[in-house]
Amino acid sequence: MGLIDIIGLTKNYGEGAKAVAALRGVDLSVEAGEIYGVIGLSGAGKSTLIRCLNRLETPTSGQVIVDGRDLTAMSEAELRLARRDMGMIFQHFNLLSSRTVADNVAFPMEIAGRSKVDIMKRVMELLDLVGLADKAGAYPAQLSGGQKQRVGIARALANSPKILLCDEATSALDPQTTQSILGLIQSVKDHLGLTVVLITHDMRVITEICDRVAVMEDGLVVEQGPVFDVFTRPRHQVSKAFIEVVISRKDDSGAWGYVPRGLLTQVLFLGPSAEDPVISEVVRRFEVKPNVLQGRISHIKGRPFGIMLLDLTGAPEDCRRAVEYMRSLNLVVEVLNDVQHG
Amino acid sequence: MFSTGSNLWLMIWPASWETIYMVSIATVVTTLLGVPLGVVLVVTRQGHIMANKLVNRLVGLPVNFIRAIPFPIFILFVIPITRVLTGTSIGPNGVIVPLSLAAIVFMARLAETAMLEVPYGVIEAAISAGANRRQIIWHVLLPEAGSGLILSVTILVVTLIGYSAMAGLVGGGGLGDLAVRYGYYRYRADVMWVCVIILSFVVQALQNFGEALARKYNRR
Ligand SMILES: Nc1ncnc2c1ncn2[C@@H]1O[C@H](COP(=O)(O)OP(=O)(O)OP(=O)(O)O)[C@@H](O)[C@H]1O
Ligand SMILES: [Mg+2]
Repeated sequence: MGLIDIIGLTKNYGEGAKAVAALRGVDLSVEAGEIYGVIGLSGAGKSTLIRCLNRLETPTSGQVIVDGRDLTAMSEAELRLARRDMGMIFQHFNLLSSRTVADNVAFPMEIAGRSKVDIMKRVMELLDLVGLADKAGAYPAQLSGGQKQRVGIARALANSPKILLCDEATSALDPQTTQSILGLIQSVKDHLGLTVVLITHDMRVITEICDRVAVMEDGLVVEQGPVFDVFTRPRHQVSKAFIEVVISRKDDSGAWGYVPRGLLTQVLFLGPSAEDPVISEVVRRFEVKPNVLQGRISHIKGRPFGIMLLDLTGAPEDCRRAVEYMRSLNLVVEVLNDVQHG
Repeated sequence: MFSTGSNLWLMIWPASWETIYMVSIATVVTTLLGVPLGVVLVVTRQGHIMANKLVNRLVGLPVNFIRAIPFPIFILFVIPITRVLTGTSIGPNGVIVPLSLAAIVFMARLAETAMLEVPYGVIEAAISAGANRRQIIWHVLLPEAGSGLILSVTILVVTLIGYSAMAGLVGGGGLGDLAVRYGYYRYRADVMWVCVIILSFVVQALQNFGEALARKYNRR
């Protein structure tokens, strides 16, 4: 059992013939203290899923169990209390334009009926935490996107929730501001022991801060697991397509007029095996000549791994055995031009 | 015989007070009833916090119905209601009732438009924070629409001044009525001119004041 358990969740918009099935049976479990990422193409149902977590959207069937309590069975009043344990931030920030930064952060506490003195103290604490203490009296319209999202985060954390929900929280921000907001999410998560569920289109958000990831397509979770595993050994087509952003799988050697003569092979060196002289070992053992077309180091959540693109020439049988051998060393090997070589 | 000058101001003063009396009472009544009605029109819309097709239709229907009736006809039409509410159907008090009734639905639509400007995402943020419906209306919808509502009330007052001129129909009095009676029927161009100048000056001043106030509260 995780902190959040989603069981058989479905959501239809509309009824009858016009109904749209946005979620078609999603099972997910989010552990306390992790950052769980959800990725998928537009319309896959990511927003619907996260909005079911605080019941901004009422599921059609299935259960959402948060901290042992079934949200789908709660009354309106119970739900309002439960929502105070979950902060949410949005792509377009959704700040109250008529309130100052400080009063925006105060809002959830006013709603909860906390005392003025309490609220003032907590607001200053939170603004310090997100680095906006000097903007307490400013109005949202006077802030940059990144600053607005910081206010959004401070507001989401006002009632000391256990869970932070982020629906494309960095999609409206430039890459540098995205980095700083991700850094902030990571640090408040560590500081306050939060559990974070975040949704994004952006691969880099996942590789930067997520522990685990779910890939969604057409209302279903098609693949999930630790980010490093899903990224280095994607099984589903959608995952592969996403991961291309981080690990280029495309054969762009053609761009400089190179025509591969053998097996175009991509090898991922994950962790320790990177130190072994794999390539020379391959040359020694098999009758093949690897031509190194590309090699670089990439990171997933601070964990480095190497990517190498080889043109493996030799007899087809030898090439195949060389690939088998590399796989046996626990390297992730993919042949990109398998068609010609059968 | 009175001199023209004193005669003129003896007519203008009471008429001015009649206008102020009618318009200010109608403004207060209309705002107090029209804005809540506007809130109902907004929150019962599809996908809003108290979505309810039936209530939305039921409230929207008379709103559109009253707006469709020309005001002079409406004054005559509601005379029975006016009698019940104010005990008379003539004079300034006889005008306030039809004026307010017609303006309430006008105000409801203006307020609705102002509140529809509030992005629904902001309301969702409040819902996620655990706000109930009352809190959303009082702490989100109304303050966020504040600037637009101030402009709506400005338009309301200006419109009420214009409509109060038709009060002559039931002997309501006021500057507009004076201008029509003396300026048109009795060929007193001076009376008409003074009324027109005062009215346009007041309307312009109110418009400027309302816009300045709305700007002050607009933080977007
Ligand atoms: N309020 C709604 N009414 C009707 N259909 C909706 C509604 N919200 C979402 N949908 C539909 O449900 C499906 C899933 O939408 P959802 O917003 O969850 O996708 P998403 O993965 O968040 O996409 P994006 O990346 O574009 O934000 C889509 O087909 C969408 O058109
Ligand atoms: Mg979305």
